Amino acid sequence: MKHVHEQDEVTVREIPAARLAAIGWLVVLLVLAGIGAWEWRMRTLGLTTRDLDDSRSHWAVERRKVGGAEDDGVVIIGSSRILWDTNLDVWEEMTGRRPIQLALPGTNPRQFLEEFANDPNFDGFLVVGVTPDIYFGDWPGIPQFSGLTKFWHDESPSQRFGHRVGMLLQPRLAFLDGAYALGTLVDRLPVRDREGVRGPVRDVWKIWDVGPDRQYALWSRIQTDERLREHARWVWGPFDGAKKPDEEVARAIEQSKRDVATIRAHGGDVAFVRAPSAGLYYEHELQAVPRANTWEPLLAETGAFGIHFDDYPAMRGLDVPEWSHLSRESAVRFTRAYVAVLQQRFPQLGKPRD
Amino acid sequence: MVFNSLTFIVFFAIVFALHRLPLPWTAKKFNLLIASYVFYAAWNPPFILLLWGSTIVDWYIARGIYASRDKSRAVRRSWLVISVAVNIGFIGFFKYGEFLLQNWQALMASFGIAYVPPAWDIVLPVGISFYTFVTMSYTLDVYLGRTKPIPKFLDYALFVTYFPHLVAGPIVRPTQLVPQFQTPRQATRDQVLWGLGLLILGLFQKVVIADAGLASAADAVFGAPGPVGFADAWLGTLAFSGQIFCDFAGYSTAAVGASLCLGFALPDNFRMPYAAIGFSDFWRRWHISLSTWLRDYLYIPLGGNRGSEARTYVNLMLTMLLGGLWHGANWTFVVWGGLHGLYLSVERWVRSRTGVAGDPAGAWNRLALALLTYFLVNITWVFFRSTTFEGAARVLSGMFGLAPAADPVLPTIYMIKVAAIVTGILVVQWLMRNASLEAVVARAPWWLTGLVAGAMLFTVIVAQGSGEAFIYFQF
Repeated sequence: MKHVHEQDEVTVREIPAARLAAIGWLVVLLVLAGIGAWEWRMRTLGLTTRDLDDSRSHWAVERRKVGGAEDDGVVIIGSSRILWDTNLDVWEEMTGRRPIQLALPGTNPRQFLEEFANDPNFDGFLVVGVTPDIYFGDWPGIPQFSGLTKFWHDESPSQRFGHRVGMLLQPRLAFLDGAYALGTLVDRLPVRDREGVRGPVRDVWKIWDVGPDRQYALWSRIQTDERLREHARWVWGPFDGAKKPDEEVARAIEQSKRDVATIRAHGGDVAFVRAPSAGLYYEHELQAVPRANTWEPLLAETGAFGIHFDDYPAMRGLDVPEWSHLSRESAVRFTRAYVAVLQQRFPQLGKPRD
Repeated sequence: MVFNSLTFIVFFAIVFALHRLPLPWTAKKFNLLIASYVFYAAWNPPFILLLWGSTIVDWYIARGIYASRDKSRAVRRSWLVISVAVNIGFIGFFKYGEFLLQNWQALMASFGIAYVPPAWDIVLPVGISFYTFVTMSYTLDVYLGRTKPIPKFLDYALFVTYFPHLVAGPIVRPTQLVPQFQTPRQATRDQVLWGLGLLILGLFQKVVIADAGLASAADAVFGAPGPVGFADAWLGTLAFSGQIFCDFAGYSTAAVGASLCLGFALPDNFRMPYAAIGFSDFWRRWHISLSTWLRDYLYIPLGGNRGSEARTYVNLMLTMLLGGLWHGANWTFVVWGGLHGLYLSVERWVRSRTGVAGDPAGAWNRLALALLTYFLVNITWVFFRSTTFEGAARVLSGMFGLAPAADPVLPTIYMIKVAAIVTGILVVQWLMRNASLEAVVARAPWWLTGLVAGAMLFTVIVAQGSGEAFIYFQF
């Protein structure tokens, strides 16, 4: 007798003889109750519906705004400091135009500087935030944001649509925050790590919240919760003052020189901004990436204008609760101060609208 | 579009609602076909042309083969050659083009010829290996006389394109699915509920277990730049064994569930593979739709076990080597397939010499052999997960205790997670080795099933999957 495989027959699926409707109702009740309790708990931890979860798609939306207007306007690239420390409302109020915020946490902005240099149509004004230990190194950044120069071109219709749906849900559900996803919370459980291993408990925890147009700000709990603030400072520990290799610094400056020249040749311009840091982190930076070896040659070689917070009284003495990012109030002051300097130097940035 | 995305939730809600409307059956199928194209185009619209190309070529060729059934075998075979050439040509160009060029370059270099291939910047169309095998199975079945050409193009196009199986299987056969399209059907309330339950289970496997539970440990070990110690190497490999299972079985389960909600039954693709005793048993439980495809369209046409003993072993090895290459354009996949071929050959040889067929007697013997099988499967996963032989050698050295001075890699929390989750997977698979999920649910108290399903859905939601693609999409 010929053996009949299941592949040779019409597939039939068994349905379990169980009270499926009752099971379904129980699932609905449990999930509603669970999500309700979870949402309540997350709100008590300080998550809010005003805080949007930044993502690759969220960034891509902003990236596609470049070139969308008559001219390319002002675009900000950089790492987390220029992202946290720039208040877009203040900028718009002072210049009459809102910049496009493309800086990314834990990411080297040189890849984006190069991308704009390679775009012959870009003639905007580029503000480049310089976090020295990132900018003057070879490290491209955290994997979460790798490949974005390609992603914003290639983002699929499905990803774009999913982002839009997410943007409808996030203003309604506070718990939708990647920093408080279940897996992340499990990884943060306080277990002792093996010698020499840097576990996820030493990852950067939530220190931000995000509004429309990728307006980042220091999460309010960092200012009020000493444990979280101390954790954030502890995380910066690996930036321990070990001197950045000269060849890495030279590569960074060489690339910047080439890209700034190209952008200028296309009709654009570039300014570098060194936002404040403080405490042990600042001391480590003085050793690892001393200004005389990094910042000064950068400006000298590129011929670009730069703002270093140490040079301006209005930018000193600001509140840097976890040593690397300004408090909300200080971010407003810093933005006001550095935009005023830029306006003086670059009249094309504009004045307030009447 | 991936199942673990907000886009899919909206898409599926619309498709489900449209399918429940009191429309003519043809209109419903047309809706499903359009929805399937939308599902595919939502990833990269231009590649829909490839899908159409593959669909249309095999539609006409299958009819050509059937029309020439009374003619010489050479005529029919020439039709078949065109189909295989077009389908393999598509895969060859998009999936293996760069690989072939690199190997050609290496070959030339071995003769001292400096050949520099052109830059290869071709994106791999998602799911091309899956839908190509589906269309080929249709043409091959018509050629082999197992089925007649499908009378209606709509039924055929829907069979090829039906979105639940389109990009990562199960690789369905015309006999399994087409008859379901030919007569009107609507999912019953229980089918919809069970389908949703399977969808939840699949998403739980992918989002909670594979992505949130195991991926980080596997990534850390296989991405380690230096030597990997014994514990790290084993835990990283075990993590990958759990990740690849939950990722792929999760997709298949979700696909079966989504399809059932629409009233169509797709076959199982996994049946507790880590409870397998031996490798023929493993391949009856792992990626069943691929292993049976390879059996029916490669191993048996090669001669199967009908020739000499030596020829049988050659056929086995060829089938598994090509099965390995199907997974990706890298020699590491070929080695993965080769190891499985070797395991199957050794098992066949041992069984033929000892006369033992089926499972051994005694629970402890069965458990020991199942663990041995799992151990050997893990060796193969090292080649599957590593992108280079150097990387594979690093991990294997650690697994066999040859890297005692290696720096530790895994944080303690990852080690705890891997140990707990993989143990859980193994225990569940062993306990359910001979049972179906349906039978287990039928026996369990309804409130317990509800509790478990509710907990799964809750964790899927609060795990907030990032919509990462399933691993098998790249194959």
